[in-house]
Formats: sequence, C-alpha cells, structure tokens
Amino acid sequence: MSALSVVGKRLPNIDSFSKVTGEAKFCNDLVFPDMLFGKILRSPYPHAEIVSIDTKMAVKLPGVEAVMTAQDTPKIKYVHLGGAYEDKLPLADKKVRYIGDEVAAVAATDEKIAEKAIRLIRVKYKILPAVFNTEEALKPEAPLIHGDRSNNIAASVTREFGDVEEAFKQSDFVFEDRYEVQAQAHCCLEPRSCVAMFEQKGNLKIWTATQSPYFVQKELAHILNIPLTKVRVMEIHVGGGFGARSKVCEDEAICAFLAQKTGKPVRITFTREEEFTTTRIRHPMVIHLKTGVKKDGTIMARQAQIITDNGAYNHMGPAVTGVAGSIVASLYRVPNVKIELLTVYTNKHFGGPFRGYGNPQATFAIESQLDLIARKLGIDPVEIRIKNANRYGDITPVGWKITESCGFSECLREAADKIGWKEKQKDKPFGRGVGIAGCIHLSGFHVYTDGDFSSALIKIFSDGSVELSVGSADMGTWSKTALAQIAAEELGVTLDQIRVVSMDTELTPMDLGSWGSRVIFIGGNAVRRAAYDAKWQLFEIAAEKLEANIEDLDSRESRISIKGAPQKYIKFSDCVGATSPHKVGNMIIGKGHYDSPTELANRETGVSNISAAPIFAAHAAEVEVDLQTGRVRVLRIVAAHDIGKAINPTAVEGQIEGAVAQGFGYALTEQYEYENGKILNPNFLGYRIPRTNDMPEIMAILVEKIDSEGPFGAKGVGEPALVPVAPAIANAIYDAIGVRINSLPITPEKILTGLKNNAQREVA
Amino acid sequence: MKKLIRIVVNGKLFKVRVDYYRTLLEVLREDLHLTGTKNGCNEGECGACTVLLEGKAVYSCLILALDADGREITTIEGLLKEGKLDPLQQSFVEYGAIQCGFCTPGMILSAKALLEENPSPSEGEIKTALAGNLCRCTGYKKIVAAVLAASQRS
Repeated sequence: MSALSVVGKRLPNIDSFSKVTGEAKFCNDLVFPDMLFGKILRSPYPHAEIVSIDTKMAVKLPGVEAVMTAQDTPKIKYVHLGGAYEDKLPLADKKVRYIGDEVAAVAATDEKIAEKAIRLIRVKYKILPAVFNTEEALKPEAPLIHGDRSNNIAASVTREFGDVEEAFKQSDFVFEDRYEVQAQAHCCLEPRSCVAMFEQKGNLKIWTATQSPYFVQKELAHILNIPLTKVRVMEIHVGGGFGARSKVCEDEAICAFLAQKTGKPVRITFTREEEFTTTRIRHPMVIHLKTGVKKDGTIMARQAQIITDNGAYNHMGPAVTGVAGSIVASLYRVPNVKIELLTVYTNKHFGGPFRGYGNPQATFAIESQLDLIARKLGIDPVEIRIKNANRYGDITPVGWKITESCGFSECLREAADKIGWKEKQKDKPFGRGVGIAGCIHLSGFHVYTDGDFSSALIKIFSDGSVELSVGSADMGTWSKTALAQIAAEELGVTLDQIRVVSMDTELTPMDLGSWGSRVIFIGGNAVRRAAYDAKWQLFEIAAEKLEANIEDLDSRESRISIKGAPQKYIKFSDCVGATSPHKVGNMIIGKGHYDSPTELANRETGVSNISAAPIFAAHAAEVEVDLQTGRVRVLRIVAAHDIGKAINPTAVEGQIEGAVAQGFGYALTEQYEYENGKILNPNFLGYRIPRTNDMPEIMAILVEKIDSEGPFGAKGVGEPALVPVAPAIANAIYDAIGVRINSLPITPEKILTGLKNNAQREVA
Repeated sequence: MKKLIRIVVNGKLFKVRVDYYRTLLEVLREDLHLTGTKNGCNEGECGACTVLLEGKAVYSCLILALDADGREITTIEGLLKEGKLDPLQQSFVEYGAIQCGFCTPGMILSAKALLEENPSPSEGEIKTALAGNLCRCTGYKKIVAAVLAASQRS
C-alpha cells in the first residue's frame, strides 16, 4: 500500500469549531414558532393496576393543548427484540411496572404550565405487591409482572458445547465462585431530548438525541402506524450515547404523539432525575462461574449460570444476557462450555445497551476468577492468559471465527510490559499492587434480521467539492471525522475538502446506527466503496480526456493524473463539468454498500459467526489502597488495544480514555441506592461518576495488526476499552492487599471488611 | 411579577423582563437565545451551565437572574473574537479535547477563569479547577493537556 496521507493522521475533529464556540445545536437548543413543551406523567408505584385516569382538570388548564393517555394511541408495542419479547407500550394501558413508567403526557405553551398540568391528572391505582430483586421475583409466590411470563422469567436459555462434566473430571482443579455486578447509569451529559413536528399530509420530522436514526424511524413508523417515508429523523448534535440511545427512546414516541395531536412542534427534555430514573441502565447480573483447569493452567471447561435483573421491561435484556453467555464461551480458548442464562423481570427501571453490552459483567467474573486460578496454581497471571489466549484460526464454541489480525497476545504482553509487571513483582509494599485483565469483543454484531450492513454516498460537485453522506450518528465518537478521513484517502482529497451529512433519514443512505463497535469497520467499508465508486467514475472521464488507460491513473490532491507523469492531469471539477458519455448530470455520485460477511445470530443453536472482526484488549492497572480508609487510588492504567489500524489516533485514544473512565466508575464508585424500588440517589451528588481529580494516568497503546477485511485495516474500539477495567483493578487490589472482592463496585467498606477478615483469619 | 434587569453579556447590554424565579441559565438560553451554555442537571452538580460572572466561573443554574442585574457575564459565545478562536478554544481543537461537545462550553470557561487568575497552573491545579465540570466522554486526559498547552502558549 502506498503511503497514507489522511488515514492514520491526528487530524482535528471536523465539528470542533462548532462545538468549541457553542454554535453546535443540541435538541434542547431548538426553538420553533408555536413550539409546545411536553411533559410525562409517571407512575409513583413500582407495581399497580391503572383503574382510571381523569384528565379533566389538566385539559382545562389554560395553555394546555393536549393531554394523552394510551387510549389516544393505536396501542402498538415497541419492537426491540421482536416477537414474544415485545412487552412495552409507549403509554401504560392497564398496568404500571416500575416507578417512572409512562402513564400520560401533556403538551402546553410553556414548561411550567405543562408541569402543573401533569400534577392535575388524577390516576387511580390499585397497588400490587412488587419484587425488587431476582431472588424474590423467581419465587413461586412472587407477583407476576407480565402476565404471560411465569416466575417472571423473561428469557431462559441453556446451551452446552462439548462435555463439561467429562472435562471437569479430567481437570486437575475446579474452581467455583459467585460474582455480582451492579446497575450502571450512562450519565450522558445531555439529558434526553427531542423535538417532533408533523407537516402537511402527516409527515413526521423529529430531531432527537439518538445513536441510530434507523431504529427511531423504524419504531416510530411502527408505533404511529404510518409508512417509513413519513418519518424523517433529522441531523442534530448528540451529547453522548454509550448505548443509552442506540434504540428508540420513550420520549420520542410520546413527543411524536403530542405533535400529531396538536399539529404543532413539541419539545420534550428530561430532567436529570428522569435521566437517572427512567432511561436505560447496564443490567445488574449474578454470575456463578465454575472453571476446570489442568495444573499447567490450560482451561478445560467453563460452566456459568447468569441471572440478569431485567427490570420491568425487556428492551434488549435477553440479548445482553446472551452476549454475556457468549463471552463465557469465547474469552480465551474454552473447549467445553455450559451456559444457563436467565433474564428475570423485577419492578425497577430496566436495562438496555451500555458500552460492552453484557461483556463487562461476564469479563469481571472470568478475569477475577482466572487471576485467582493463576495464583492457586502458582502461575504468573500474565502467562496463564497468554497460554490460553485466542488465536487466529480458532472458532469459539458459539461460532466466532478469530481472524488473522488477532492481537490478543500482543495486547497482553504490551500491557504487562508498560505497567512494569515484572519489576513490580519484587519489593512490593503492602497496599500497592498491579493487576491485569484481557477481553474479547466484536466489531459489529449481526443480530437483527434487518441485516449487518452500511451504505454511503459520495457526491462530487461541479467545483470539485465533496459531500459524504452516512446514516450513522456521531454522538461524540469522532465517527464523522474518521469516516471522512477514509473517504478522503480513497478519493484523493484532503479532509477539509469533505463535508459530512449524517443521520438524516431523508438525505442519507441506510445504516443501522452507532452501536456494537461497528461504525468504522462496517460503515468505513461502505464509505471506502462509495469513494472508490466516485473515483472510478472520475477515472472513466479522465481516461478519455487524458487519452490514458484507466489502470495508469492516480487520484490525489483533487486531481486525476497519470502515474509517473503527474504533470498530465485533470482537476476533479473539470471531470465533473466535462461533457462525456461517461457522465450523467453535473454531479458525480458514488455509492457504496457493505454487507458484513457474517451469519445472523442463531436463536436456536446459539452458534453463528456474527462478526467479521473480533477485537481484543488487555488492561493493566496499578493501585494503592489506603489501609485506614479503604479508599483505592488507581495510579495508572495501561490499555492495550487490538485495533487493526487507527484511522485517527487521537480519536482512538479518546475512545480508550473515556471508556477507561467509565470502567473506573463501574469498578469503584458508581452505584444506585434503592428503597422499595425507589431510587434514592438520582443525581450527580449521590451517584458518583469520575471527575478530573479521580482519574488515574491512562496510557493507551494501539496495537496495529492490519485487518484484511477492515477499511485500511481498521477494526473497532468503542466498547472493549471499558470491559477489562474493573477486573484489572480488582486483580490489582488483590495483589496489593490479598483481599478478593467478587462484587462491584469495590467500595471502601468492602475493602475494610476484607482486610479485617484476613487479619482475623491470620490470628486464628 | 416581572422585574426589568440590565445585564452585560459578552460586552453587550441587555434589558430583560424576568420573573423573580428565573435563573440566569434560563434567561441566557431562552430570552437571549445564547444556547451555547447548557443545562446538564439544573442543580449545580455537572458544570455544563458554567459562565463567567465578572471573571469568576459560576453555575448559572444556581444564580437567579435578578442577582445578575447590573453585572457582567461571559458565555462561550463571547470567546470568539472576529472569527478567531480564543487560545483555549484553539487548544481544545488541537488536542482532541472534545467528543460530544456538551460539557465543552462550561469546561472552557472554567479553564479560562483559572488561567486569568493563575496563568501557569500545574496539572494538579488544572484538575482541581475543572473538578466542577463533569465529562462522561473523554476521561479528561486530553482536556487537561489542552489547558496546560494553552497556558504554556500565553
């Protein structure tokens, strides 16, 4: 490959100027003439029947233009996972199932009136007994949250690959441990917000903070019972996502209904409290993990029972549990696996996608236990991982094919090396330690019958300027910039010559959205193809004008020239403006479509190759534990990532650093406090996410083993950077003070209790 | 009942009629249409609403508009001078310190207040000054690097 001039460069984000001056508009910044403000009435009870709703007083309040309940809607449920998993209406019809469940909505001329109107709606509830944890929910006498799901089991899957019983018999050691991980809030800085308006003939326009315009369009068309062409999702800046907004969100449908009813634009913006209590969370899980090993450290078998606290509704719960199970089968080489996956309803806020999607939960269990195993066997924790690391040519029990660019061992070695693993084993003061953890994730997940694809368009205008059109949203990930770099490299222009149009479902081609670490790998391939298509059209014209063979042509600096004779060239603009039998109209349009060579997830067997690019990482952490207070100071995290090729190293580092911060919070400080289903800390004061002075030093290491399928060799990175953080920290804590904590977050109380127990054990 | 207040925002005098309960954040965004200042929590915990009140970084969601009467305020929109970015803004762009951009206006203004008072801060002092501004995207590393670089330039 010839030297790259745009890809691989630390170019500034193309939206920087707009964001740094305050010019960038987010949904809550949008104002329209006659715009109304929407508010949602939510259930104050965790489980209740709706007996009656009296909206008379609210309707009469001056300034109120619509009051809606389920009866004012077609009562069509959200699709999400589809089929029997569809369990939620936009507005509750007969029952409410968690504190915060949407019951009614109001649109009024100002926010204060809307808030007052909400308080005037009289709902008569018949309170039902509620359950707040999976143990209670599974009991035979537990109240049923969804009538058709006995024992509150939303999904139950058991799979075995190989023969675990036999493998355990052949193991030299068998370890059995229980792990518990907590709910985590996304804490996007921008609270949920959307603006909806209907134009003549029932055409919906919606600006919304979303990662996936595709799913917003699809679900709203379904719920409103209107054709897809009548739903247009607009382009707008989005203040973070991390999975919270990768599917349709509840305010979107409600806002659309209000806009439809009033015939005016309606804006809904959540309070921070609503953001904490009614948007998605990372699913809490209890994982029983049993692993059999040979005395040389070879993993023989794994058996896991995973119980996921689904919350009140499915959303993506069963799929998240599924991914956790697939990780049990796939992280390291595991010849025999048995997984029992239970997704259980409770009367609490419900989980959804969150960076890692079941992987952080499973990896915390696997990597904590592998550390324990290494120490019991007297094997170095880094060496045991390298010994069992996934390799090119492997196919995991769930069908994931490990590709040639697999850089797992390299990541483990780099992380260990840069934290100073060997040096830090000697002269270790009590209270200081290092830990390591690895991870496997995927670039792209073929889990929807919609497909596993992306499309892109490149338009070259008559003055040679270029427009790139992509369907995915850039919610801060730098995807617009990186995709433009791919296009620029392929086309032969500079980054600043490309304008990117994204998200708008009327202007951009189909893309499933920004989730599953898929945008660079799948989206990037589509972009590259579109650029190639446009370039080829330029070549056809240029070949004619320059009287050259197409194979001899080169494209760079907005010119098509003859290789070896760059003085013979024709400018892009002259190609576009030329009269030529190869050209139609005064614009070049390049189309690119990429269908990832993968198999749709198989819900029967659980075996399919759902991604063309598995990705790996290893994090090493150094911690210092305060023996008096139990506070953990994370000094350093070295994060080595197998990324194929960094399209923009600054962007990749940014993803890693941000994900490590979220993993840090997951490991040490983030926790919801509940009382009978009510969240006691729905604010930043009570729910602690890391601040500047909490952060450890982060060293991001980019392991670039070119992937043959990825655009310019690139694979994804968005999610894996969060996954190994918590177990790396937990393992470092063990190294520091000999206390093994099997639940998150690792609070000072748990540390002090552990130290006390150890001391008592020593004395006894 | 509304009261007429006079506030100087980004060097320009505005006369606004405000209800007693309106916050400075609301008046800036809704009455003056300066939407660069963001509402992240409305309860003084995230810093997205940070503006400079006579040079000091404050949470505009916790200040009643009435209390801003007769005073000078700088919002993010006030940093761009004749199309040229402030050195801090320039540094944020160069160091890749922006991802979703929602925390950015508040973050930059907190940094600006710091550099006015302490033109050569240490990394630790920068972190302390920005500890009142939450960011969920970046992990703060590039933000701190950008502020340090900006301080070293001027």
